[in-house]
Amino acid sequence: MDPKVLKHYLLVHDNQDGDSEKATKILTEMRSTFGPNDCQLLCINFSQDGQTRHKDTPWSTFRSDALATEHLGRFLKLDDLNEIKNLMQELSSKHIIPYMEQKIRLLNQQVSSTRKGFRNQFKNLWWRKGKEDALDTTNGPVYTFSSIESQIRVLGDYAFMLRDYELAVSSYRLISTDYKLDKAWKRYAGVQEMIGLTYFMLDQSRKEAEYCMENAFNTYLKLGSAVQQNATRCGLWWIEMLKTRNQIKEAATVYFRICGEDLLHSAVMLEQASFCYLLSKPPMLHKYGFHLVLSGDHYKKCDQIKHAIRTYRNAVSVYRGTTWNLIKDRVHFHIGQWYASLGMYDVAVTHMLEILASSHQSKTSQELFLRDFLHIVQKTGKTFEVLKLQLPVINISSLKVIFEDHRTYASPAAASIKEGVWRSLEEDMIPSLFAKSNWLDVQSKLIPRKYKESNICVAGEAIIVDIEFKNPLQIPISILNVSLICELSANPEELNSEANSSNVEPQNDEYKTSTSTGDINSSLVLSEVDFSLEGGETILVQLTVTPRVEGILTIVGVKWKLSSSVVGLHNFESNSVNKRIAKGRRKPKHSPSADLKFIVIKSLPRLQGFIPSLPEKTYAGDLRHLVLELNNQSKFPVKNLKMKISNPRFLNAGNQSYLNVEFSACLEKKLNVEQSVGHANAKKMLQNVFHFPEDISVQEETSLSWPLWFHAAVPGNISLYITVYYEMENVSSIMKFRTLRMHYNLQVLPSLDVSFELSPCPSRLEEFLLRMDVVNKTSSECFQIHQLSSVGQQWDVSLLQPVDSILPSQSLFAGQVLSCFFMLKYHRKSSTSEDSNPLFLQSDVRLGPPGNSEALFDVCSSPLADFHDYERLYQGMSCQGNVDFVFITQLWRGNIDSGAPHRPLLFSHHVCHCSLSSFSPISWFVDGPRTIQHNFSASPCGVNLKMTINNSSDAASSVHVKTFDPPSSNSQSIDATASQSGLPLENQVGWFSIPAVNDTKVITTDALAKRITKSVSLESAPQFIWTGSSSTKLKLQPRATAEVPLQICVFAPGIYDLSNYALNWNLAPIEESQGEANKSSGECQGYPYYLTVVQST
Amino acid sequence: MTSTACFIIVSRNDIPIYEAEVGSAAKREDAAQLHQFVLHAALDIVQDLAWTTSAMFLKAIDRFNDLVVSVYVTAGHTRFMLLHDSRNEDGIKSFFQEVHELYIKILLNPLYLPGSRITSSHFDTKVRALARKYL
Repeated sequence: MDPKVLKHYLLVHDNQDGDSEKATKILTEMRSTFGPNDCQLLCINFSQDGQTRHKDTPWSTFRSDALATEHLGRFLKLDDLNEIKNLMQELSSKHIIPYMEQKIRLLNQQVSSTRKGFRNQFKNLWWRKGKEDALDTTNGPVYTFSSIESQIRVLGDYAFMLRDYELAVSSYRLISTDYKLDKAWKRYAGVQEMIGLTYFMLDQSRKEAEYCMENAFNTYLKLGSAVQQNATRCGLWWIEMLKTRNQIKEAATVYFRICGEDLLHSAVMLEQASFCYLLSKPPMLHKYGFHLVLSGDHYKKCDQIKHAIRTYRNAVSVYRGTTWNLIKDRVHFHIGQWYASLGMYDVAVTHMLEILASSHQSKTSQELFLRDFLHIVQKTGKTFEVLKLQLPVINISSLKVIFEDHRTYASPAAASIKEGVWRSLEEDMIPSLFAKSNWLDVQSKLIPRKYKESNICVAGEAIIVDIEFKNPLQIPISILNVSLICELSANPEELNSEANSSNVEPQNDEYKTSTSTGDINSSLVLSEVDFSLEGGETILVQLTVTPRVEGILTIVGVKWKLSSSVVGLHNFESNSVNKRIAKGRRKPKHSPSADLKFIVIKSLPRLQGFIPSLPEKTYAGDLRHLVLELNNQSKFPVKNLKMKISNPRFLNAGNQSYLNVEFSACLEKKLNVEQSVGHANAKKMLQNVFHFPEDISVQEETSLSWPLWFHAAVPGNISLYITVYYEMENVSSIMKFRTLRMHYNLQVLPSLDVSFELSPCPSRLEEFLLRMDVVNKTSSECFQIHQLSSVGQQWDVSLLQPVDSILPSQSLFAGQVLSCFFMLKYHRKSSTSEDSNPLFLQSDVRLGPPGNSEALFDVCSSPLADFHDYERLYQGMSCQGNVDFVFITQLWRGNIDSGAPHRPLLFSHHVCHCSLSSFSPISWFVDGPRTIQHNFSASPCGVNLKMTINNSSDAASSVHVKTFDPPSSNSQSIDATASQSGLPLENQVGWFSIPAVNDTKVITTDALAKRITKSVSLESAPQFIWTGSSSTKLKLQPRATAEVPLQICVFAPGIYDLSNYALNWNLAPIEESQGEANKSSGECQGYPYYLTVVQST
Repeated sequence: MTSTACFIIVSRNDIPIYEAEVGSAAKREDAAQLHQFVLHAALDIVQDLAWTTSAMFLKAIDRFNDLVVSVYVTAGHTRFMLLHDSRNEDGIKSFFQEVHELYIKILLNPLYLPGSRITSSHFDTKVRALARKYL
């Protein structure tokens, strides 16, 4: 320190302390000691009472944070202030500045003599070099105030202060190289800092200024923590420079660099940096948030929790709504924790709630979050009701409300079936009055319009709400007391009183909220469910509410308890847009809020129904007897029962008389007396709706049983829908009837695959060979074949060979194949004229063991006949000339004893419409002599033949018989040979044609007919010609027979095949088209007919 | 292979649609948080730089202590951001280019809604394989 620094002595006297005399005394003493020019007296506070009020504090322009409330300078009069000002001006202008100017002149002279000029520079350099090895401390050499370096520095500083920046810069630059060479880094950095500032003040070469600042800053940083404060100062200068030049972003990075080891210091700097990012244009909000968080962490580390919370709260505004989950979680978690540590639990809880359902976090942090949350909640000592608590997550789209108005359900499964299915099923059963109400409707007047918008439910019957809860976390949570929140306005009069003024809203104040669940006297009964969810688990919870009195019920939402003190609420209405109500009515204006509003009406009878022994799994063909049980639990009887079954092919209602009969015995053929009754019943059955007899009603607390017949028609998964309609007696209510809906699923496994093949017998008209192929497709079952019946028009079936020869055991084991042959004969109508219904004729073949006297089953009476009718309906269109077969088997007796109680006993397989439609509708045969003796020497031989043509179709047909001479057909038939010879022979099991002389058994598909044509035509020369008409056309009426005479002329003895003719037939189209399956025209090659002509002598 | 590498794909709306810690260093909870913070903060810089160049690869644009953020911006302004502590610029560039191809394949999927989260496990395995290869 230069001891010769300018000195000036000032005596300040406060008038409040006493007279000024004492002051003048001291002043004279001072003057005598320090010299007369350097001493001065300042008297202040002349104000008498201290009441002087200044508009603002006198120092307000210099100190921004001086508070006006402090009443600074109360005793200062205006004169005092002026005097202070004058004093200071005088001091600076008369003493300081002249001194400095003088000093600068002096120093400048000194410096330029020693350091300016080439010689001095060189000398200096050499001198310093020599000094280099002498001093090697970290701080560089020690400079005294009188050393030339210090002098230069002082010169620079004075020049800077007097705003002679050029001089200042040149001095600083001069000295900086010296310091650098001397490795006096701290001083070097200081000088660099000053150069930067000077450049900045000169406002030129910005780059240079920044470079110097950075240089200084880096040098300070290199020096370590000892000069931390210098670094900070330098950084702040630098930041201010950048800020003035609007380089706010750069300023932020400098703030960041200033951060050191001191936590609080860093925290402040980081916070400043974040503000810089916020203020930069465009604002860099991401950086702002990040630096706020960093700053908050530093604050937290040095226990400045309030500051930490402040910065984090600012950060929250940045990160609100972000999808960067880890960030959001961290911010909320820390704020929550810190608030909790300050004891502000309420705020803490709101922040903790944000992170409760963070599914992306690891298991440990989820545990941590949940534990801390519960801990904080516990500390509050309150019970929190949290709307939209995210734990567990409610899948609102899974919300399903099941309620019963006039539609009741026998099982939950039935309730989950689409309304449309039931609606179409019940269409013709429900009175249209209710189903389609229009504005003329009397019914609609009973219910005010707005109630029609809401749903109706019955007091005492539960409304079921299904809703899914999902645990988003990986840790298990347990949920308690899950229940619905419901409101019930208990004013049943409203229904009537508001009938005329339907637009009046119900009074809100009449609502009473009922949330207490255990209260028996409450008008509502709510179910409560407790469950625990494993990590990631989803649970479908079924909640019920049962209104006990009439009124209007609204389901508001659901609530649950997460722990003992956190209650989660979820309001259904709040996001009702996504809601799907299973049983919403189809209305043009369908408001979702109305779906959760119910009108509770007086309790009504409700039937419960079930079918006890309906199997879930069975084999196709299974025929059994079931019982439908209907229970009435209420006090009122119900009447007018009707029932409809969706799939009558599988299930239909039987006669009441069948209720207690023994199964399978009742199906056996009885005397014809009963048959007509069965028929009448069967005719009725074909109608869609089954009406229970008029006198049947289900009385209070009784049950009704009704027989049902079940037949597993086809394999597959079958859904059976059953609706029972009933009307209430003695109940005056807006609901006159209800329906009970039952639903069953059953699986039908394939059992026997039965197929039939019919071939016309060529030698005889109207006789057919019938092949039955049966395959046992089950894996383990063994079937005992029982009977084959043909149902249809006048068909007579008989065995061609005894069954014993094919199947000695009469049992079909798993996988076994059976082929059986029968002869089918067509009866003329005359033989059955006395029977009124040709459809229900039957002819049976017993296939059971010989000597078994078991009765045959009656295929023509209910229920087999009913099922058969449905089979006919389902197995395709019915056209004439078809035969239906019923193949009945029983499970092998050995199996039955050991089996389960619900084993099927009887199987019936219905194969319908085994028609001849695949064959040509025209059949014929040629009749004539087989062997002729003729003397050819006399004349060629003429042979007369007769062709009988039968039209088996329902349409009139025109037939064209063409004959042609052998040579033309010869090549064709050889071609045919070539192409047909590779035909597989397996079709010929038992059926191969031997061109026998007497009887030609021919398989009459066109292809086979051709094949036979070729067999003998190899060598035959055209030894005969057709004579007579070469082509004949004739018309055949439906089901008529005609004869055509044919003639040939033979020229030589030999054996002749007369197959070279063809029949063209054309069916006249019938009005109702039969579909594409029927051919309308075709051509048939002639059958082989062998004629032997012998030369007679 | 770098010890720290966090790869993240940010959609046009600043929503992360894919995240992967592909570094070899052991996973730490707070490290993942820090990575997210740094990458999130770097979005500002990307915003500035993306329009100053026609190149998609913006190189290293931001740093936090010894962590460097490299960014690749697709034409649809989807940003691939990689936080790493290595100086292998060529490898990073190739990595980004290959990931870009994968990303385009994802975009071609008609069932993928652009801007939604990439949940394809195939994509994930491919990206991790690429990270092992290039980083």
